[in-house]
Amino acid sequence: MSATTLHTEAGASDETRATGKSAGRRFATLVVRLGAIAAFAAIMAYFVVFAPGFTSSFNLINVVEQSAILGVLAYGMTSVIIGGGSDVTEGGIDLSIAANMGLCAAVYATLLSMGYGDFLSVLAAIGVGMAVGALNALAVVGLGILPLLATLAVLNVAAGMELTLTQNTVVGASSPLLGFLVSGSFLGISALAWALIVFSAIIITIIHGTAFGLRLYAVGGHPEAARAAGLSVPFYVSFTYVQSGFCAAVASVLTVSRLSASTPGSGELLLSVLAAALLGTVFSRRFVPTMGGTLLSVLFIGLLANGFQLLNVSSYWVNGVQGALILLVVAITSFARGSEGSQ
Amino acid sequence: MTGSMKGLVKALALGLAAACSLAAISSANAEELSLKGKRIGVSAIGTDHYWDLMAFRGIQDRVKELGGEVIALDAGRKDQQQIAQLQTLIAQKPDAIIEQLGNLEVLNPWLLKIRDAGIPLFTVDTATPHAINNTTSNNYNIGAEIALQMVADMGGKGNVLVFNGFYSVPVCKIRYDQLKYVLTSFPDVKIVEPELRDVIPNTVQSAYSNVTDMLTKSPEKGSIGAVWACWDVPQIGATQAVEAAGRNEVKTYGIDGSPEVIKMVMDPKSSAGAVAAQQPYEIGKTSVDNAARYLAGQKVAPFTFVPAVLINKENAAEKGKPFLDAAEKAGVK
Repeated sequence: MSATTLHTEAGASDETRATGKSAGRRFATLVVRLGAIAAFAAIMAYFVVFAPGFTSSFNLINVVEQSAILGVLAYGMTSVIIGGGSDVTEGGIDLSIAANMGLCAAVYATLLSMGYGDFLSVLAAIGVGMAVGALNALAVVGLGILPLLATLAVLNVAAGMELTLTQNTVVGASSPLLGFLVSGSFLGISALAWALIVFSAIIITIIHGTAFGLRLYAVGGHPEAARAAGLSVPFYVSFTYVQSGFCAAVASVLTVSRLSASTPGSGELLLSVLAAALLGTVFSRRFVPTMGGTLLSVLFIGLLANGFQLLNVSSYWVNGVQGALILLVVAITSFARGSEGSQ
Repeated sequence: MTGSMKGLVKALALGLAAACSLAAISSANAEELSLKGKRIGVSAIGTDHYWDLMAFRGIQDRVKELGGEVIALDAGRKDQQQIAQLQTLIAQKPDAIIEQLGNLEVLNPWLLKIRDAGIPLFTVDTATPHAINNTTSNNYNIGAEIALQMVADMGGKGNVLVFNGFYSVPVCKIRYDQLKYVLTSFPDVKIVEPELRDVIPNTVQSAYSNVTDMLTKSPEKGSIGAVWACWDVPQIGATQAVEAAGRNEVKTYGIDGSPEVIKMVMDPKSSAGAVAAQQPYEIGKTSVDNAARYLAGQKVAPFTFVPAVLINKENAAEKGKPFLDAAEKAGVK
């Protein structure tokens, strides 16, 4: 009983203060958001001035290349967050994406080493990736399990299947496609960097340039309204998980090319993928995940590791700084959401 | 008959082991080495294991000692990160790169790129055609010694549980191949199929449950004689599992010489049979000396062996102590 009283009291006081506070709070949010972006910019400026070789085109292309795998995965994660809503506990999230990539890489490398060609092996990897995505969709949309838990369970399924397939060993692989990805280049930009550029262009167009993308935002932002407007919410949400699986499969081909093998331990990437998708919201005025924002934060994470190495600062700091930034962004996002809620 | 056979095998194995461990480190101090004004890049796949950490420290300490600047990179056991670090390192154009362990299949194309960029490459415990010099323990010896010690303790017959999860790591390949080679002379010692897989991380827990499962599967005493692993962290889990199951007839064997394992071998009640203890800190330092020599225009051999010591139940008290002292000095338990 006392809880309800408290609740209504809090609600009432919110209402009375809302009008006066919302403008101030919105201003504060803006300041904090710009502050975060300024912090990003300051770090970059510091690298530009003090890190030897940071701005050389060779180094920058290296960073784009190093960001390709993380970028493709982060796009998958971002679309899930867009379609499922960005509530950190109940919204869309795909914890299985990195493990899914590991499984796809294992399938791809194993099939290649068994003598199947690129075409069939890539097709199989994509099939497996999307099947894992479909499993997520089934669990979340079909069975109504919280995405956080559903994809955590699927993470274990995918990781287990990868272990069964590879016995936790390194599976070496080589093929014409892999050779091209490793050594191909066009206009002085390597194939792997091109992969990120092209994939980014496609996904940004789909999500931000089509009616489909707009509806996806509607579904994630306000499912009831979307349903009332006649959109099939389950279809859109399912789509994001399957697409996330597709991204995992594409990333798996890139990772096998970079490592010349499928190796255990892909799951380690999950934290960086989440970081990229969450950090990306800072670049949007309404604190929603955007593909462009995700791309910027992926590059930022890559440049951070690169700049630290060039400055000869211990690599141990990268994780710490990354963690601090996530904390900062999540704090700002919650703060901003608080101001939206009180309007 | 069995008794005399056992004695013979044991004498043979121990004789060989003693002969192998007699070599002494040649002191590099006689010549004046210097890395003044030189930048040395150091890339390690990870430092979560005692061996890795000590070698990584040995490299860095020695570079600084010789007046050089060190760019130290720890990939945290992530292949992706190590490749990214190496790629950036190549762009930094250091005077030499020292690479420490990792998956050879993943590394080789990148090690080749280091050479293509004209940067001298030295490796620690990583045999690759692209390195000017690989500094390591004599893993052929170590592999044979620990295998012979195991065969001796088993009396030349019985079943062995083998952890073989890291055949793609060159030193593990050599040690495993040596085990197999030694066993060709002792057909009554059999490896239990399928082999077990050691993993990183959670090595100890995973080894513990693997060995427990296998002991449950073969409940008769004597049905399993020994557990072998190419390093000593699985040996920790295996030893604990054997002791928890009360199967003290099973002895465990591993390689590296982590302080924890040396203590186990020193404990007469422990099931840890033997461990081949390496000198990772010395190995790291020696690889830097090789790089310094090369940069000074001297000729460097393709590999340098730093001696290792077989620590078994008989010699543990005496041979184990210096290693524990060294670990304590380095501040590692």
